[in-house]
Amino acid sequence: MAYPGQFGFGGQQVPAGAYGAAPGYGAPPYGGGMSGYPGQQPYSGGPPGKTYGQTPTIDPQIQQWFMSVDGDRSGRITALELQRALVNTNWTQFNEETCRLMIGMFDKDFSGTIDLYEFQSLWHYIQQWRAAFDRYDVNKSGSIEGHELQQAFQLMGYNVSPQFVQTVVIKFDHYGRRSLTLDNFIQSCAMLKSLTDAFKQRDPMMTGVARLSYEDFMQTAVMYKP
Amino acid sequence: MSYGYGQQGGYGYGQQQAHPGHPAPGIDQNWLSGIFQSVDKDRSGHISAVELQQALGNGTWTPFNPETVRLMIGMFDRDNSGSINFQEFTSLWKYVTDWQNTFRSFDRDNSGSIDKNELKTALTSFGYRLSEQFFDILIRKFDRQGRGTVAFDDFVQCAVVLQTLTSSFRAFDTDQDGWIQISYEQFLTLVFSLRS
Repeated sequence: MAYPGQFGFGGQQVPAGAYGAAPGYGAPPYGGGMSGYPGQQPYSGGPPGKTYGQTPTIDPQIQQWFMSVDGDRSGRITALELQRALVNTNWTQFNEETCRLMIGMFDKDFSGTIDLYEFQSLWHYIQQWRAAFDRYDVNKSGSIEGHELQQAFQLMGYNVSPQFVQTVVIKFDHYGRRSLTLDNFIQSCAMLKSLTDAFKQRDPMMTGVARLSYEDFMQTAVMYKP
Repeated sequence: MSYGYGQQGGYGYGQQQAHPGHPAPGIDQNWLSGIFQSVDKDRSGHISAVELQQALGNGTWTPFNPETVRLMIGMFDRDNSGSINFQEFTSLWKYVTDWQNTFRSFDRDNSGSIDKNELKTALTSFGYRLSEQFFDILIRKFDRQGRGTVAFDDFVQCAVVLQTLTSSFRAFDTDQDGWIQISYEQFLTLVFSLRS
């Protein structure tokens, strides 16, 4: 049932509970952060974080950032405006898909844009990932290499093979350096979380194998695709 | 097939259109060579992803979907150089114009982008049998302009992604019953590989 030999499993089945059993599994890079991902309301069950509950307060610094990112002064930020504002450590622009992914996480009304309050949450989210990125970039090269990504996934509670990590690096590295910039790191971690959650739902007994219909398979893949 | 993920030959439109490596018949090579040269801005004799993106229009005055560009380069770059030579360009040209014609034929109201109903008609004619909910997801996912419709470049990406996923599903569905067993990592690898 485990498709021996394929995808580097060497005939082994994923041990039961290997994915997703760890308590910290699928958690944001830091405890207390948000765990939003596309297709699901990041704030179901009420706004997260300590500053919420009543009217959230806005950090004046973030408000200033918001105004400079909101190029057309519409009061809302689009993925394109966000893309113009975000740079990686090597000064390349954030890729479009990551910006759309992040807007989608915080955009509660599916308008494709975010307001000031949503921007503040997004800002904290990016800061958390930036800190995580720096921590996992052990050799301080400014990007996450294959072995660092393997380590990062492991510490986040994902049990994935080196072959899979290689696939991620190859697919998300457009600069031919075999390493990930911050935008690609965020995108791949967010995808991994969403896909693992979706898979777990379809594998309640934690066997490591799920049974999917064509429609379900297509919906899940399209929903969480890069 | 009762579960209907596309009849043989009916689905996977894009694949039938692509003839990588074969020169497109019926197109004036001199004329095409002129186009090639105007796209090849740095006169390197090769078209890069950036050059191709600048040359392609999606009818909305926004940059052409970079994923679609990479998808097409990956499809026609036979020598894996990361760029497109003239020979490869003639095939790519045919591919793009074929898709343009398809797109126009489904854009009933000539708006330059297709709405959910038009998308449904298009994909159903390719042989896909998908739920109403699925089309909502498609629009949300492939509409980069936030207008509830899909522009040309996003339509091509959408069609290629559906085709890739359906072939992957078929490969797992050995008994052809419309259900597959898939391991955690196979599932992850499959979706991550959709990035071009």
